[in-house]
Order: sequence, then C-alpha cells, then structure tokens
Amino acid sequence: MSRGSGGGYDRHITIFSPEGRLFQVEYAFKAVKAAGITSIGVCGKDSVCVVTQKKVPDKLLDHTSVTHLFPITKYLGLLATGMTADARTLVQQARNEAAEFRFRYGYEMPVDVLAKWIADKSQIYTQHAYMRPLGVVAMVLGIDDEFGPRLYKCDPAGHYFGHKATSAGLKEQEAINFLEKKMKNDPQFTYEETVQTAISALQSVLQEDFKATEIEVGVVRKENPDFRMLSTEEIDEHLTAISERD
Amino acid sequence: MGDSQYSFSLTTFSPSGKLVQIEHALTAVGSGQTSLGIKAANGVVIATEKKLPSILVDETSVRDISSLFFHKSQPFSCLLFRCHFLILFFFLNYLWQVQKIQILTPNIGVVYSGMGPDFRVLVRKSRKQAEQYHRLYKEPIPVTQLVRETAAVMQEFTQSGGVRPFGVSLLVAGYDDKGPQLYQVDPSGSYFSWKASAMGKNVSNAKTFLEKRYTDDMELDDAVHTAILTLKEGFEGQISGKNIEIGIIGADKKFRVLTSAEIDDYLAEVE
Repeated sequence: MSRGSGGGYDRHITIFSPEGRLFQVEYAFKAVKAAGITSIGVCGKDSVCVVTQKKVPDKLLDHTSVTHLFPITKYLGLLATGMTADARTLVQQARNEAAEFRFRYGYEMPVDVLAKWIADKSQIYTQHAYMRPLGVVAMVLGIDDEFGPRLYKCDPAGHYFGHKATSAGLKEQEAINFLEKKMKNDPQFTYEETVQTAISALQSVLQEDFKATEIEVGVVRKENPDFRMLSTEEIDEHLTAISERD
Repeated sequence: MGDSQYSFSLTTFSPSGKLVQIEHALTAVGSGQTSLGIKAANGVVIATEKKLPSILVDETSVRDISSLFFHKSQPFSCLLFRCHFLILFFFLNYLWQVQKIQILTPNIGVVYSGMGPDFRVLVRKSRKQAEQYHRLYKEPIPVTQLVRETAAVMQEFTQSGGVRPFGVSLLVAGYDDKGPQLYQVDPSGSYFSWKASAMGKNVSNAKTFLEKRYTDDMELDDAVHTAILTLKEGFEGQISGKNIEIGIIGADKKFRVLTSAEIDDYLAEVE
C-alpha cells in the first residue's frame, strides 16, 4: 500500500516526489539513453530525413530483423529510440490508430495528429499507476498537405514539438549542439543536403565513419511522399558524397 | 479508471492531516513557467512566458489557433450557433498545435503553469463538457459552470484509484452575462475568482507587483500593459513577442490570442 508522503513509492510508480517531480518519467528518459544508440532527424525545405545507428550485437543475428525505423502508414514513418520491445508496442498501436483514422475520416492521418496521439498516450502512462511510461522517444516524420515536410519528437513525459532538426538517445545533447550551429540561420536544405546533414551530424557526434550497413536512414520527400528506408547502395552514395565534400 | 490492482487511492492522508501528493503537485506547478491573469472593468487578459526548449523547435508547430478560426469562420457564421461550436471543436482537436494559451469556448480561454501534457488532457475534457452543456441547454456554458466542472475533474484525480493529481494550475478567463471573470483552479480541485493572480516560478514577486498596480477601474489595454510589465519583472533574457503569449477577451465576448506582432506593439508602448 502507498502512504501519503510517497513512502519511497514515488520512485516505483508515477506519483509526485516532494520536489514535484515524477521519478518514473525521469527514469524512462534514462532508459532511452541506456539503449546505447543515437538518432538524428533533420527537416529540409521539401524533405525530412532520420538517421539512426544499427548495432547488431551478435553475428548470428539476422540483421534484417534489427530495426528501429518503422512505417506506420505508407506516408508516415516512426523512428523509435530506446527500448526495442516498448518501441514495437508503440508502433503496433500507432499503426492501428492510423488505419482507424483513415477508415473513420476518409483521409490519411496527418503527422501532427499522430504525434499528438502518441504524446497523449504517453501522458496517460505518467498519470495512471497501472502502466509505466514507455522507454521510447519517438520521432514521427511525414509530408503534411498544407505545411510540407514535418518532423515531430514525442517523449515519455508526453511532450511533443515540431522540430527543424533534433536528436534522441545516448549522445542527444552533443548532437543537438551540433545541429543548432548548422540550423542557426534557418537554411532551407535540399534533399541531398538534408540527408547529408543528418548523416554527418551522426558521424561527427559519435566520432566514427560509418559503413552503409551500420546505419539506417529513412526519408520522405515532397516529390515522393511515401516513407522510404534507403537501401545500402543509396546510403553508400551519400556517405561517399560526404567524404568527398570534406 | 486504473486497473483493479490499483483500486486504492494513491493520494492518502498523512498523520498530520495533509494530502501530500497535492502539495507535491503544487510544487510541480511552482517550478513551471510564470503565467498571470488580470480582470479589467471591460475584459480579462491572461499571459504567460513561452520559452521553447531549443532554437531547433519549429515555431510554426506552435501555431496561433485563432488565426485559423477567424478566416474559416466566414462560411459558418450563417449556420446555427450549434454547428459553429461543433466545427470549432473539430478543428481544435485535430489542428491543435503546441500553444500554451488555449480556447475552451468562443468566450472562454485558459492558460496554465506546470506540466504541459496534463494541461492538454484538461483542455480536452473541458471542451467536451462545454459542448455537452451547449447541446443540452442550447446556450453557451457560463464561466462558473465550466470552471466548476473542470475543478471536479481535477478533484477526481486526487481521490480515485491508481491515478495521481494533475500537475497544473489553470487560469480561466471568460466573459459572459455576468461580465468579465477570472478563475484560478489548483491541482486539488479548489477554485477561486480573482481580480488578478499569478502562478509558476515567479509567483510571489508577480503577485506583489500586481497588488501594487491593480485598480478596480482598469481598462483592458491598461491591464495588458500591466500584464507585460509583471512578466518583464522576472523575465530572464530579452522579452519579445516571440517568447510570451497573451490572450484577451473584451466586451465583444470573443477570446483571442494576440499575434506576436500585436504583442510587440504593446511592448513598444510599454517602454
């Protein structure tokens, strides 16, 4: 049974601590970092690109089954950084919700509506004791009919914002510092610049050069609003372009 | 709400008779961004700091709702008031962007200090309650009734099983047949009517400032100036139309959020 003062339970379920904090939510953020990968998203003038590390810990694993990038509908993608099991649950529910939206209202779920839905669901977990918050930061991307390319980030606390560029995971803060410098004068990146900014940000922050099999890249473009994951050949092209540029 | 395993309340009395979870919720409110409200003789103004966490956040995702409402309302103005309400709520629920001051009905607006995600839940519930009232009585809901129902929801979460109190305090500004009104609702569910109030980080300085400056016969424009000056008192950094939000409602009974250009105009007048 819980006691009025918290009695130590403020660390176990999402009730307030004496300082007015929710420890379970803060621990959920730590769980996102503990997964050990970093992700980056960049929104350009007519495209959005997300990049994440692909760590396959065991050579015997089928590397095609290791992924953090999920299509929710044909036009919406979700990059889940953090605990993979929680990510799969979130993706499953998001896919269901997006499909029902399409059926109920007759048009595709917009990016911001999906982001808000994820954020509101996360808020419920921060207020009801029976479910813990999910240890996942979700980046949702898509092309909006009215507003063009959109990138939203939803966190375990239930916050969500649209971003010009953002990051999540282990080296989140370093990546955000790097991106703030790049996006300072509101550059309107073309598709190639968007992808290369995202990949080079990841390389710079993790201080290593990647092979095409070590990262996953997902894009949506105005010319082709389907959410697509780039093949290894396409990633290679971008990596070559970046190393030639430097 | 909640699983049967949590059919006991998490907010229980301490030996000294206090509900400690509510006190902690108030602490959470006290560490939120400052917001305030002032009731003038012919209207109400509410205002808040809007500090976005990084320059990478897309400001257009923090869109002004009222601008979309105005240009879309032209074809609807000839429909029954009932349809107007329903369509307003449809748009609001699906085109909501991250904005701190929110509109509950055409003549009632609300701002908060504390946890943003909790605020979204309360706004959604309040809007639904306002709409249900309207469907039953064919009248816009009076401000006091809406405040009472919202407060009841907040109280529920301090007593029901398996949930924690809301970590927000609300300032509700409205103008109905009884004139301009300003209410503050706390996480405990208690609410009071105020002539002027503040909440969040800088609450004690802000309240002292307001006590000195408030007069009963203030006009709405004076109230906006006073609100800006109060926010300026505890503001870190350069105040501008981009990092504060102001909502006003006048005798026309239409609540609206000021654009950043309008705020900049008021700021220039203040200096």
